[in-house]
Amino acid sequence: MTAPPQNPKPHFPLSHPGRRQFLRVSAASFAAAGLWPSTVAAQDMPPLKDYPRAWLTENEWVFVLAAVARLIPSDGEGPGAIEARVPVFIDRELAGDFGAATDWYMEGPHQPDAPPELGWQSPLSPADIYRAAIPLFDEWCVSRHGTAFADLDAAMQDEALTALEGGDVPLPPELRDFFDILLTNTKEGYFSDPIHGGNHGMAAWVHIGFPGARAHYREWVGRHNIPYPLGPVSISGERA
Amino acid sequence: MKTVLRLFTALALVAVLFIAGLIWIPVSRTPASEALPADWAPEPGAGEYAMRAGDCMACHTAEGGADFAGGRAIHSPLGTIYTANITPDPETGIGGWTLDQFRAALVDGLSADGSHLYPAMPYENYRLLTEGDIRALHTYFMEEVQPVRIDVPEPDLPFPFNQRWGIRALNWLILTHDSGFNGIMGDKVLDRGQYLVEGPGHCAACHSPRTAYMGQDGITADQPAFLTGGYIDGQQAPALRGPGSVIRDWPTPELTAFLATGRNFAATANGEMGLVVEHSLQYLTDADIIAMARFLKALDGQPHDPPEMTVPRGPLARPAAQADARGEATARMLTESSPDMPLGARVFMDNCAQCHFVTGRGSPEIFPALQDNSLVLSDEITPLVSIILWGATVEGTAQRPMPLVMQGYEARLSDDDIAALTSFLREAWGNDAAPVSPEAVRDIRDDGPPEARQDDGALMD
Amino acid sequence: MARQDPKKEVVIVGLGWTGAIMGMELAEEGLEILALERGPDRRTVPEMKYPEMIDELSQGERHKMMQRPSQSTITIRRDLHETALPMRKWGSFLLGNGVGGSGVHWNGQNWRPQPVEMGLRSYVTDRWGAAIIPEDMTIGDYPVTYDNLEPFFDRFEYVAGISGIAGNLNGEIREGGNPFEGWRSRDYPMPALPVTYNGAKFAEAARAMGYHPFPRPGGNASTSYVNEYGMQMGACNFCGFCERYGCYQYSKSSPQTTILAALFRKPNFSYRTGAEVLRVEMAADGLTATGVTYFDEDTGEEVFQPADIVILAAYQIENVRLMLISGIGQPYDPATGKGVTGKNYGYQITGSTSMFFRDEHFNPFVGSGINGVCIDDFGMNAIDFGAEGFIGGAYISSAQTNGQPIRSMPLPENTPEWGAGWKSAIAEWYGHEMSISHHASVMSYRGHYCDLDPTYRDRHGRPLMRITFDWHPNELRLNAFLQEKIEALARTMQPDLMKSSYKDFDSRYDVRPYQTTHNTGGAIMSQTPEGGPLNRYLQAWDKHNVFVTGAGAFVQNTQYNPTGLVGGLAYWAADAIRRQYLRNPGPLV
Repeated sequence: MTAPPQNPKPHFPLSHPGRRQFLRVSAASFAAAGLWPSTVAAQDMPPLKDYPRAWLTENEWVFVLAAVARLIPSDGEGPGAIEARVPVFIDRELAGDFGAATDWYMEGPHQPDAPPELGWQSPLSPADIYRAAIPLFDEWCVSRHGTAFADLDAAMQDEALTALEGGDVPLPPELRDFFDILLTNTKEGYFSDPIHGGNHGMAAWVHIGFPGARAHYREWVGRHNIPYPLGPVSISGERA
Repeated sequence: MKTVLRLFTALALVAVLFIAGLIWIPVSRTPASEALPADWAPEPGAGEYAMRAGDCMACHTAEGGADFAGGRAIHSPLGTIYTANITPDPETGIGGWTLDQFRAALVDGLSADGSHLYPAMPYENYRLLTEGDIRALHTYFMEEVQPVRIDVPEPDLPFPFNQRWGIRALNWLILTHDSGFNGIMGDKVLDRGQYLVEGPGHCAACHSPRTAYMGQDGITADQPAFLTGGYIDGQQAPALRGPGSVIRDWPTPELTAFLATGRNFAATANGEMGLVVEHSLQYLTDADIIAMARFLKALDGQPHDPPEMTVPRGPLARPAAQADARGEATARMLTESSPDMPLGARVFMDNCAQCHFVTGRGSPEIFPALQDNSLVLSDEITPLVSIILWGATVEGTAQRPMPLVMQGYEARLSDDDIAALTSFLREAWGNDAAPVSPEAVRDIRDDGPPEARQDDGALMD
Repeated sequence: MARQDPKKEVVIVGLGWTGAIMGMELAEEGLEILALERGPDRRTVPEMKYPEMIDELSQGERHKMMQRPSQSTITIRRDLHETALPMRKWGSFLLGNGVGGSGVHWNGQNWRPQPVEMGLRSYVTDRWGAAIIPEDMTIGDYPVTYDNLEPFFDRFEYVAGISGIAGNLNGEIREGGNPFEGWRSRDYPMPALPVTYNGAKFAEAARAMGYHPFPRPGGNASTSYVNEYGMQMGACNFCGFCERYGCYQYSKSSPQTTILAALFRKPNFSYRTGAEVLRVEMAADGLTATGVTYFDEDTGEEVFQPADIVILAAYQIENVRLMLISGIGQPYDPATGKGVTGKNYGYQITGSTSMFFRDEHFNPFVGSGINGVCIDDFGMNAIDFGAEGFIGGAYISSAQTNGQPIRSMPLPENTPEWGAGWKSAIAEWYGHEMSISHHASVMSYRGHYCDLDPTYRDRHGRPLMRITFDWHPNELRLNAFLQEKIEALARTMQPDLMKSSYKDFDSRYDVRPYQTTHNTGGAIMSQTPEGGPLNRYLQAWDKHNVFVTGAGAFVQNTQYNPTGLVGGLAYWAADAIRRQYLRNPGPLV
């Protein structure tokens, strides 16, 4: 089997000729069709500092950038949350149905201090929890360490997040799930399809060896104990 | 010089007289091929059945329009014509047409007023209808179809193709065969199959080649070019006999299943053939489907034992085929899933192998095989590229109710991707056809999707 | 009343598995039928098509195929003294929505109950005496036997297109199948699917311990399949996106792939989407229903749909709620044990052990909904309840259904949840883990039941259903027993690391983590009108033209996934309606 003559390259990085425009066009047409949220071509994305936020305020953005950078740090092998553009994912999720708890049952009365095993009982939506909890957590950081979370050094940030995770940062019960939501959203943004804004370049999938949206492995069922070699594909057709 | 001028003048005069003759000499209608008794009347339901066998509805019904009210666009390289309203509305349809007028439309291509029908109407084939079917159809259209008052658009054709006298000249060339049916198979069942294929089924309209003046080359079973493959609307209609026949390797039960349901062990019917199954073949009796299949097999000199049933009844479990010797190298390469595989193979793995599998052989009755697939291998690449861009639907039938839908990849694949993919498909699993360029894909994409869902579809096998 | 539509002979509430089955069976009798479906239409293309369906965030995390809790949800409390609170977002279970119901998003795992489970109270009493049944345990015998249902299990398996290998063919035990299963009159319609590496390893270890491994049966086609209606499935490609997803590849058993297109061709059948049934309306004498009132999303009005026969074919929770709202059967009262509707709510208890093999490759994304190898050596009919001190059983399996990384990222004990340690652990361990889990029965108890919540209401002002449920010591003992068996088996496989996740004896029901969507009871079938709201033909004792399908009829839950029994009971009830009720409408018992 040889490569078709018009495509002599055996490899096809994201910069493969023609892909850039294709991705831009396809993203626009998918968005127009309402099939999935609008996105832009991976390599055309603005740097995070220029990203036009849909929900988060400047202070919240600064916090989220700093927090996710500790939850999934950039050092070591594989992308960190920043390289994966997790903050973009979080902003978009908070601006959408998830952030507003559109699909959830939010009628009162609420008992936010109910036993945790009875599940979400806060009257606040996830987006409202971010909005209310970030300043309280920053205040706690200031009172404890003299500065807001984003300005702490990495070790202090980890310590503060550990306190938040452990319930040692005093938050009212309707905000008690803040750390869980933040961590869950961070991992969602890291591992979900790039159409949602995170997992930039599918790098998180490459990091663990998940083939993404390929979704057929019939001939691999009987190939026992052999590592699967082919890189991922995304919903919009990116290859890595 | 003067001589030359005189010669031209003379020739022009002859041409004018000829054309005048075409225009003003009255047309004559072919009489009934068979004298039926005066008290002859069709069996109840015979007219509707003949309509199904003749597939009148597919062309004479617009997308979303009333049955038989016409207006369906038929595209040709020269322009667009619109099918006629054949409901019995007296103003805009065929209400009040006598049997003789109706018969002339079918066998001579003449309208009630003597004007010529466009040859998109397959009167070359309907010319072979029995008088009984013609009368049954006349009764059906006059008495059983609901009249619909609707004017269909005028044809959008340039001069001289908008002049129907030109068709008269054409008819002198193409309507040379006798009207009525002449069975040559020497067997009652095979003759019935011959009749359905030749006459109402008008299979030759697509599956026979065309002569230089666009008539069908092979209208009846005794002609050597009959069903040796043709083109319709930019699609290849594959040969049904001879060494290139797509159906030669199909056992007779697979052929009957394909005709009745549009799907079998290796193929699905899309586009024009999909319409034929949807509007015509699925309504035929098992006996008629078997007769057609056996005739096609017999015509090709193949075994044609009657199958036990037209379409196998469930419950039925049929394993997906393994790669054969020709396909094994491709299947192995895809199975290894090396990141170094060529782009076309990679696009296949990311978009197509989900259903067509690395074997290229799909899953019986549901995911068509791509190996030896006439649409994949066709010189006409438009149908293949169109299906990749915009998808395809095999409508459900009574015996296989589930519509089988392939989604389009217009948004997910670039022209380069599709060129690499189609080039791969055309050389994988032992396939052997020329590669496809990104420019060719771009042109097809720029032309846009078929206006009506299946207008420009294709036979996919 | 804003609108009254022309009368139908049959109205079906919900167009999932049992609505489709009832629709087809009764359409074949020529009856005029209307099915009312609360959610949207769903077809393979476009609603489930590749690649958009392959989106873990939208389907796996945001549950876009499911009922929205904002439409309707339930409230939960663990005991009679706790205040029930609404399940505001899904967790422990996921309720389907739209045409096809939960038959669209299930994994396809399809089992029959064991014969002893159908006559459980008699089985326990005969073997060990009634004294071993705890005082608050309200188990009973189903008013129908396994032998009664066998033809109907078979019918469902052949319509639904189930792959598997028979272990008990007319009493003959067959190599490779489940030797503990009830007899079956013929083999599965399709052979079993092949299994992934984890299954092969598990099978080998189980066999070495003297157990009897077999591939899990279920509705993922191993071949192309055509059923009695000519409906078709394609051979499953192990896409790894089964549960929570619609199948883009026509290979999962669902109403869409096996019944609906054939049903929609019937001129006497029609259906409406966006039609949420609010209540069943009753005749003045209270002996029959006159039809249903539904909310029409298109027009925003309430519509009365008159009908001769009303079939409640929604999910267990909505069926029981409609019965309670409409007054079908007396509401159950746990204080007195009197009343029938809402009684014997049941669920499933599960637990699992993860095994990590640093140098082995499992490719966890190679998965199908049923992929896995099971043993039934600790099933209901294989355990000495008297000796072990509990009543119940389980099948144990090693599954590999998906490797979707947001939700399926098992990591060894003490791995950090975040930070550099987490990031390196996901690369180190993803693809190097397999698990063994149990799927166990839950008995019925006096205090586990459904009623209408006194506080919380849905968007139409109707009370939400309240579930009172917690883990009972009987099931926690069963769970501990199974943990010991699984861990012993796992240790023989010598993994580098092991991590177990089981409930302990202090565990209370936690609504947050997904467990199973196997909610049962509340509309149980019974020998007598005092025992449950339905008779043995799923007919309401007190409203003879109301039939109620689904797992609400389970007297107590079985050790298996419920769909096989749900499907079998639907065909059983449809048969009774066709043969008996249509000829002579009235109580069938």
